[in-house]
Amino acid sequence: MKDKISELMDGELDGRAGSAAIDALRRDGEALEAWRTYHLISDAMRDTPLLSEGFAARVAARLAAEPTVLAPTRRPALPRLGWAAAASAAAVGLVGWLAFAPQREPAPQVAQLPKQARPTVVVRALPKAANDYLLAHQGFSPRVYLQGMAPYVRTVSEPIEEPAK
Amino acid sequence: MLRAALAAVSLTLASAGHAQSAAPSPQVLAWLKKIEDASRRLSYSGTFVYQQGGRSETSRITRLAGADTERLEVLDGMPREIVRTRDTLRCYLPESRVIKVERRTAERSFPRLLPQQVGVLTEHYDIGLGEKRRVGGFECQAVVLTPKDDLRYGYRLYADVNTGMLVQAMTVDPSGGTVEQFTFTELRIGQVSPDMVRPHHASRDWRVEDADAAPTHLAGWQVSPELPGFHKVGELKRRMGESRGVGQLVYSDGLAAVSVFIEPLVAGREAAPGLASLGAIHIYTREVANHRITVVGEAPAASVERIANAVAYRRP
Repeated sequence: MKDKISELMDGELDGRAGSAAIDALRRDGEALEAWRTYHLISDAMRDTPLLSEGFAARVAARLAAEPTVLAPTRRPALPRLGWAAAASAAAVGLVGWLAFAPQREPAPQVAQLPKQARPTVVVRALPKAANDYLLAHQGFSPRVYLQGMAPYVRTVSEPIEEPAK
Repeated sequence: MLRAALAAVSLTLASAGHAQSAAPSPQVLAWLKKIEDASRRLSYSGTFVYQQGGRSETSRITRLAGADTERLEVLDGMPREIVRTRDTLRCYLPESRVIKVERRTAERSFPRLLPQQVGVLTEHYDIGLGEKRRVGGFECQAVVLTPKDDLRYGYRLYADVNTGMLVQAMTVDPSGGTVEQFTFTELRIGQVSPDMVRPHHASRDWRVEDADAAPTHLAGWQVSPELPGFHKVGELKRRMGESRGVGQLVYSDGLAAVSVFIEPLVAGREAAPGLASLGAIHIYTREVANHRITVVGEAPAASVERIANAVAYRRP
């Protein structure tokens, strides 16, 4: 299989052989690992600068945010498949930060509180159901007495989809 | 040089002031009162931008003071809409064709925290006046609320000098960074007709989800110890989404509020424990005694997590 992956990378497979290799990437963890390793090797040989950490997750998130084009395609494009798989474990946490807080240092308030319990979990984007909780909560926030309905905008924010797990 | 020295001295004084609770000047209290009055007394219509974490969303808010009715319409993406009258709040969600209804009677049975309880507020925040600045075409006065500890956020409020209308509000974290910001980019005071605060969606056949919230006593559930400065201001039961009986405990320090939601675990709908955030809002989820606990509040993550971890059940 690894030979096939190598040939696929070099663009030597087409038609049915190419499809079979792509299917293998989807099913076979070892094949996917080989795909990544070969790319790493080829990057190293060509002195390609390494991408920043979390690049794959960011691309996956951007792709996930793209509108779906309802055109008949036979199967998802390879990059999406590969990156989505690579990102799946980390994406929930990463996308949370990327989507919501790219301008802030991760959890600055936590850094301010060395003696207190630190959150031990990754911060993620709000789940879809969060709007229900926010709506239920907002009426009790004293801020509405200063600000009228403005804080309610949080309760109708367009949800950012969490990537499929 | 002199200026730097003065700044250093005033900084020292400011931090020394944290220990004792310096009463805000009558002038500052008058400003808070003016803002609170304006939010009730004025009719207005304006476009405002909510910014957090590099994202911004534009909405339109219209208030008709005579009818005590306000309407918020999201201008980006799905045209979601909230209309709040004296006793009901309706949230229109066009994508699911659902109207979520919150009766405001439960909310009203709890004390209004401003301005009657300014004393409570000054226990946890230093309140002072900041600079004057033009925002959205309005000459504004800054009112600055600086928390006395790291358990809560600070606020910078910019109010129109003439009317007291809040034109911009920023939530500030302990390191001074802006966590979220509400700004009216365009605001017209007065000239609001009843039409402008009516829901725009034709929603006759939409599904209505009524929260049916009512004050109650949630036997056996408690948050102990309470987070310093946050006291229980409400305890109720309600419906929410697909969950029928959800308990809600509300804690507040006079400005920030945190809700603790308690609902029986439903097989197949378990959510992984963890923390999520949106601007100044943090949501922390965990399980206690076969129930899902969801803590929602406009407070730093560590505060929300501390409240969540203090939720306990003792068989009554």
